[in-house]
Amino acid sequence: MKESLMDVICCPLDKADLDLDVDERDDEEILEGTLACTECGEVYPIEDGIPNLLPPDMREEAAA
Amino acid sequence: MTSLDRDGPTVYRPAKDSGLLAKAALEDAHGRVLEVGTGSGWVAERIAEERGLRVVGSDRNPHAAREAADRGVEAAVADLLDPFRADAFDTVCFNPPYLPTDPENEWDDWMEQALSGGESGRELIEPFLADVDRVLAPGGTVLLLVSSLTGYEEVLALVEDAGFDHVVAVEESFPFETLTVLRLERTE
Repeated sequence: MKESLMDVICCPLDKADLDLDVDERDDEEILEGTLACTECGEVYPIEDGIPNLLPPDMREEAAA
Repeated sequence: MTSLDRDGPTVYRPAKDSGLLAKAALEDAHGRVLEVGTGSGWVAERIAEERGLRVVGSDRNPHAAREAADRGVEAAVADLLDPFRADAFDTVCFNPPYLPTDPENEWDDWMEQALSGGESGRELIEPFLADVDRVLAPGGTVLLLVSSLTGYEEVLALVEDAGFDHVVAVEESFPFETLTVLRLERTE
């Protein structure tokens, strides 16, 4: 994901801001990292350049 | 077929409904664009390339988000509009899963989720319309694909309840259904 995506995304649960933590970057793309809600603390993964912003219960269902 | 398709496709392929939504979007999209349920990302890619707009594509299917990202779409895995900020987009496009489906016949895989609108055909259209006003910037536009199989009048009632006026952007009849793209703007 591009860092500018931060302008349009928020926590799906409470709509609060997200904190970006980058583990791996390739030019302007963030490849691996996390997005943590500044309000409820829920953490959303960025995997292979794509943020997974499903609420935790749906994320686990999707992985199954 | 991609390697993911060996047990049947996992991502909805662009079809006549996608073509109709793209036609409307190429005409009416403006500003910052979100395509909800982007699937393969084909519509989002065309808007980005042919209109030069910034387009975000979201899908709850991670395989779909991957394909959209591979087309150069800014992709996110998301449930409808949940992780998007208030006033974030000028245009929101949605070709929803709309086929009315008997719960007895649900087969519960990604392709099912891409097609089924639940028993009424409107199970995703309802929450979408209830929340889309939030993410839409002032002067924003929604482009929503509706099939006659989903209940056109019922969808129009939901549109009105959500506080939008509608006009028909494009419409096309096929042997088993009529597809319409509605352009929605907030009621003055």
